[in-house]
Formats: sequence, C-alpha cells, structure tokens
Amino acid sequence: MPLIEMKNISKIYDNGVVANDHVDFSVEKGEIHALVGENGAGKSTLMKILYGIEQPTEGQILINGKEMSFRSSLDAIDEKIGMVHQNFMLIPSFSVADNVVLGREPLKSNNLIDRDRVLKDTEELSKQYGLKVYPEAIVDSINVGMRQRVEIIKMLYREAEILIMDEPTAVLTPQETNDLFNAIHKLVDQGKTVIFITHKLREVKEISDRVTVMRLGRVIGTVDTKDVTREQIANMMVGREVFLDINKPKINRGDKRMSVKDLTFVSETGKLVLRGVNFNLYEGEILGIAGVEGNGQTELVEVLTGLKPAADGEISVQGKSILNKSPREIREMKIAHIPEDRLTNGCAVDASIDENLIVDRYYKKPINKGLLMDYKEVDRQGKKLIKRFSIKTPDGRLPVSSLSGGNMQKVVVARELSADPDVLIASQPTRGIDVGATEYIRDQLVQYRTNGTAILLVSADLGEVMSLSDRIVTIYEGQITGVFPDASKATEKELGLYMLGIKQQTEEEMEKFL
Amino acid sequence: MKKFLNSKNVREFIRILLALGIGLSLGFILTLFVSEEPIEAYKAFLTGPLSRLNRIGDWLEESLSLIFLGLAATIVFSAKQFYLGYEGQMILSALASGTVAIYFPAPSAIRIPVAFLAGIIVATLWSVIPALLKAYLDANVLISSLMMNTIALRLFEYLLRTFLQLPNTNGIMSEQIPDEGRLSSFIPNLPFLAETRAAWSKATNVSWMLYVAIAAVILAYVLMYKTKFGYEIRAVGANEKFAKYGGVNVKKTIVASILISGIFSGLAGAHLVMGIIERIIQGMGFGFGFEGINVSILAAGNPLGVPVAGLFYGYLRSGADVMERSSDVSRELVFVVQAAVLLLLTAERLLPTVQQVVETDEAGEKAEPAKGSVK
Repeated sequence: MPLIEMKNISKIYDNGVVANDHVDFSVEKGEIHALVGENGAGKSTLMKILYGIEQPTEGQILINGKEMSFRSSLDAIDEKIGMVHQNFMLIPSFSVADNVVLGREPLKSNNLIDRDRVLKDTEELSKQYGLKVYPEAIVDSINVGMRQRVEIIKMLYREAEILIMDEPTAVLTPQETNDLFNAIHKLVDQGKTVIFITHKLREVKEISDRVTVMRLGRVIGTVDTKDVTREQIANMMVGREVFLDINKPKINRGDKRMSVKDLTFVSETGKLVLRGVNFNLYEGEILGIAGVEGNGQTELVEVLTGLKPAADGEISVQGKSILNKSPREIREMKIAHIPEDRLTNGCAVDASIDENLIVDRYYKKPINKGLLMDYKEVDRQGKKLIKRFSIKTPDGRLPVSSLSGGNMQKVVVARELSADPDVLIASQPTRGIDVGATEYIRDQLVQYRTNGTAILLVSADLGEVMSLSDRIVTIYEGQITGVFPDASKATEKELGLYMLGIKQQTEEEMEKFL
Repeated sequence: MKKFLNSKNVREFIRILLALGIGLSLGFILTLFVSEEPIEAYKAFLTGPLSRLNRIGDWLEESLSLIFLGLAATIVFSAKQFYLGYEGQMILSALASGTVAIYFPAPSAIRIPVAFLAGIIVATLWSVIPALLKAYLDANVLISSLMMNTIALRLFEYLLRTFLQLPNTNGIMSEQIPDEGRLSSFIPNLPFLAETRAAWSKATNVSWMLYVAIAAVILAYVLMYKTKFGYEIRAVGANEKFAKYGGVNVKKTIVASILISGIFSGLAGAHLVMGIIERIIQGMGFGFGFEGINVSILAAGNPLGVPVAGLFYGYLRSGADVMERSSDVSRELVFVVQAAVLLLLTAERLLPTVQQVVETDEAGEKAEPAKGSVK
C-alpha cells in the first residue's frame, strides 16, 4: 500500500482556472519522488492540496490507506506532512533555533520557554540529518542555503515523515545544491519520504527514484527514473520533441559596441560591490558572465542600465558615455534590458499585457500622437507581439498576472527584443520558467545575436552561460577573474575555479581577450 | 447563471447593491433604537433630498464639490500616493478666490476667471511642499499632507480674522461676495426658460459649475487613460520599479500627479465660496476634502465612476440634513451608514464570498455524479 495516495483530485479556482484535472498521484514510503512539469502544469496546486493549503474541488487523499480531509496545513502537519516552500516562511529577526521551535516551544515546568532545549533540539536535528546550521545565528544574517536547511529542520522538529520541497534548488548555488542532495539522501536513509518539485531535468535524474510528470493539470505518467532519459522526460513535459542543445550558427564578431572600464559601485550600506570591472562587448556575440550569485552581477546590470549610480569608472556605447544616465536616456541609445526579476522590474502585473509591452515606447510615435496616445496602435502592437512571441493569452487587455511565469517572461522578452536593440543586457532570462519557454527565449537570443545584437548574458545557470555564450568572463567578489575567449572550450570545472576565486588570471592575460 | 455572474461588471454591481443594502439596513436598525418615529425619520433620510426644489439644489451643490474633490483624489491615488491634503487645498483656494471675488473691482467676465485662477494657483502651490518632500526626501506623504491640512486651516483662520473679518458681527466671516463675483444659475438666461430659471435661482445655488464638473470628469478620464502623462501615473501606481526600469521619470510623475490634483481641489474651493456660501466663513470646509477621498474610493479609482459616487455620497449627506431638521434623529446616524457602505465596498473579501457561494452550489451539482462513479 502506498504511503500517500491522491485519487481523482480536481481543483477549479474561483476564476474558473482548472489547475488539477482528475489527477492520481501516489508515493511509496522511503522514496524520493520527483514531481515535474512546466509552469502552470499544476504541480504546486497538487502539493498545496496535499499540504492542506488548498481544498480540492473533488477527489480523495489517503495516507496509509486512511482517508483524510485537510481543512488547513495544521491538519496536514498532524499527519506528519511538512512542506518547504519556495519563499521561506521564517522570521528574519529571530534566531535559527527560535524559528525552528516557533509554535511548539519546549517549556520548563514553570511554563517558561526552556532555552537550553531550544538550542539542544535544533543542534541534535542538525547533526542527525547532516543539515549544517548555526542555532544561535539570526536568520537575517545567514545565507539562502542555510535558511533552507532551517526550514527543513523546522519540519523535522514537527516530526514530519513526508517532506514536500517546492523547487528547492531554484535559489541555490551548485555547491549548495550538492549539499542539499546529500542531506536528502540522509533523510531517506533514516526512513523519511521526499517529494521534490522541480523543472530541472538534470536534478530529476540525479536525485529521484521515481518521477511523475504533469502537463496542463493532468498527470502524464509516473516512471522509474532509471528507465528514462532526460530527453524522454522533457518530451513528456511539453508533449513534443525538445532540443536541449542549442543550435548556434558560427559567425565572426563585429565592432566594439560597449566598453566598461574600472567600473566601481558602492552599495547603500557602504559595501564595495564592484571593484573595477573591465570588459568589452562586441557586435554579434553573446558574452556570458559566470559567477556564483551575489558576486556583483545584479549590481553590474543595474549600473549598466541606469537603475543605480556608479561610484567610479566609465561605460561607453559606440563611443558615447552612458555612465549614470537615466534609464530613458540609456534606452534611447538602443540598449535593452531583460531584468533578473520579472515581477519586480520587468512587469506591472496588474496592468494589461498591452500596456506592459509599451513601457519603453509609449511616449514616442506612433503610439503617442501629440496630445493623445493612440490606443488602437497599442492594441495593434500588442496583438503583433503576442503573436510573434507566441505569448499564450486570449486577449492582450488581460492583466499580466493572468499569465504563467513563462508567458510573463515572454512579455518582457517581447518588449525588449522588439525594441530592436544594438546592445541587450539579459539577466537570468530563463529563470524559473518552463522548458518550452526557455527553449524559445534562448533561441530568440541566439537569433538576435546572429543578426548583430551584442548581448551580455548574466545567469546563475552555468549550463545556460556555457551553451549560449560565445565568450565567457568569470566574476568573483565584484571583479573579473578570468576571460575565456572560446566558450565552447571552457569546462565547468575550470570556470568553477575562477568563479570561486581560487584561480585568477593576470591583467596581461585578460587584456588580450577582453 | 454562472456565466452571468462571472461577468466582472455584473459582479461589481451586485457587490455595490449588497453593500448599500447592508449599510442602509444597519442604519435603519439603529434608527429603531434612537427614534420615537423611526419610519418617519428614515423616510426623511431616504426621500428627503428629492422632496423640495431647494433640497434637490442642496444635494446637487454638495455633490459638485464632492465630484471635484473625488477627481483630485482619484488622480493622486492612481499613482499610489496616499496624499490627503485636499481639505487644506480647498479652503485656501476658497480664501483666495473669495478674496478676489469680493475685492477685485472688475466686471464679472474678468472678475470670476481671475478668482478661479487665484484659487487654482493657491491650491496647486500648497501641494508643492509635500510633493517635493515625497519625491526627493521620500517623506511619508500621508503624514506631511495631513500636517499641511492643519497648517492650512490655521492659516485660513488667521488671514480671515486679521484681514477679512466683517466688523460688528458675531460670526467669523468676510463680507458677502457682490453679484459680480457670484456664479450664475446653470439654466441659461433664455426667454423661454426664464420662469424655471427664476424658480431655481430663488431656491438653490446650482450654478454653471455643473457643466464644469461634467467637463472635469471627461478631462480627468482622458488625462488618465488617453495621454502619456496618464500612462505614466498609472505605471508608477502599478509598480514604481517597473516604471523606473521602463524609463519613466518616477519623481517627476509623482510630483505632477499631486500638483494636477490642485486644479480640481482649487475648482472645489472656488465653487464653494462663489457658488454656495457666497462669503468666506470660518469652518467652511465641512470636511468635504476627506469625503472626496471616500468618493474616490467608491469610484474605485475610475474618473467615470466619480460622478455616480459623488451624487450618491451627496445624497446621503443631504438626506442626513433633512432627517436632522425634520425628525429626532441626528445626522451622525448617517455617518454610520456611510462608514458601513464604505467598509463593505472596500472589504475585498465580500465579493469572493458571494461568488464562492455560487460556485460551491455548482460544484456540488457537478461533484455528485462523480462521486457516484467512484463507487
């Protein structure tokens, strides 16, 4: 008998969206079960139902053969189910241990909190499962990887036997991902069961025993991981052949488009984030910036696009300085920007798709005609871009919030690419989106590069940097540590050494290739 | 049925009716407790504003003020700025245009436009300080604008007492605005309309500001939804970071949105002094500035909804007046009704609940055969 059995589950939301359509899903005790699917396939909804956050419109949940009806996540926790959310549910100003025990504090006989046991319990769980945390550290001061471990310990403290992890690796560096996988193996060795939501196929192969693939609210199938290839899983996810390898025609790079010299940036808190960054960007190339997140990539992009002021240095595009110009002035010089976070910068989610598509051009002809804007033209451009970039929506007047993550990203990409840029700064262009949209966006980037656009690619996904780029530079603690003039010859291992600051090229070595 | 209820407009309409119904019932229940003649009192409240010509006039006059202020608030709220300084802007505008209307020795055709201009300029300038504080020092605009209101009230009182006070009267007031400075009736001076015009003029002060208000609504709508400036305001309101990233000058837009509201608050002030009260008196603001905010909330940020919301709110206000005068229930009761309606309308959960009821019904119908098939 399976440990968890979800039978015939359907979920229809208030707005009529069918998130789960008669889904059957079962998990055996002690396995690592990967749940994969494109964005909007219904994975998260299914898990929210299992964790009691959402109630199914119909269907049954059986735990150990007993039928359950969860009114809230508290009921699910009572049945020893725990969930590690994508956005951590921790109190930043509390210590790690306080977060772990929150709501179930160990008490002394006089009903005060037993501080010693708070620390001891946290430490014991940390040791038992190999989840390294500092019990006394304030959550605000620890890094993302440790926060995630705190979340897991929190669930274990609540005696969870079944752990649901919602895209746990999305926020982790490659090293942290390895640590997490080791911890998951330890959990399973000690009898726990893990459900692992992801859309990274490499991880599915690496960690899971079985995999369930969902598409459009339905389960396509559940298979033993060892019996399938990555390509086969990808095909199940999107329902057609997928080419994970990028087909990139070879071209020679052209003239210098952008040059960055000794660029320095100091954060609001006074931290020196960029310490003299140097590189050039040429027509018809994709220059990838490889680095562990948090080494200045975010700030580099923000300074280049005018969102943050540089402290020192020079940025010029085709001979003209753009240092500390406004975003509008920079855009006017045909520089486009795909921002790393589509929800923060890339879109106004409550505004319509059409209106999101024109934020860089609403004030110019043909949209703005003297006193009034021509909304027929806005509509026309919206229709054109929705079609050209195959954004899945019935109507451009719907809010962006009605779209899935991948389609939201397509709105951003559609706007930026249709500006026909000379220089494109693309930051995490495919983060957190499904295989189909990823494939599409990567293909578009390559096409624009082949047609002459100079592209600066910043991505936390090293695989993406390596396969898309013509040239790669590595960044570590706000400095360029190495240049790899032919990306196809760079290896993951070697890049890793430069990304972690273990090796560094001399200025003379780099100068030739920058 | 489901399709019908899924239409956004239908749902919005049901929602408003529901809020109104609950608010009015609550008011009636309270009336039952406080009044000897509850039916009579409530009847006076509900039908009073329409019972006589002068009452219709009062209703329309107050509604016009509320519409101007509602438009002012709608524009600022569209940029998600919680600026609340309309009351201060309005009374200073009333002071400025009232002074011009009383003392500027010129014929109507010049005196009135100059008075309007004075009011609008003063109202706009008064908002410069909180707008700049917000844009350049990121000062909390809610607090700074409320403080500016207090300063405006005291400044108004000081200037009125020191320079404009009519000698030998008990009240704190200026002299009356002469005919040249008053706004004339909304009914055009045509021979065949002479009788109606005389009747209305005798009973009410409804002036041609009625047409200005209609024009203002259209203007505000076009500004918000058809111009690049409106796009900028809405982009900043929808997501400030997105607007900045897209190249919109966010600071300029915030300042401009608050300054533009000065035009509408200024119109409200000029209307108040030249159209309704016809002199400058202490406490002439009546809290209109804050009710304008409520009107804007009722209109859900859409300029085209403002006149409807303004007329509705004005109706409650003048109904309260009639009830107070003709029964033993005081006007404060109506505040309860207003508050209840507003709370219910802004409570975003109200509608989902309505819809959920509908959906669970339907889901129940659907789910039953499905359960059977499992067996």
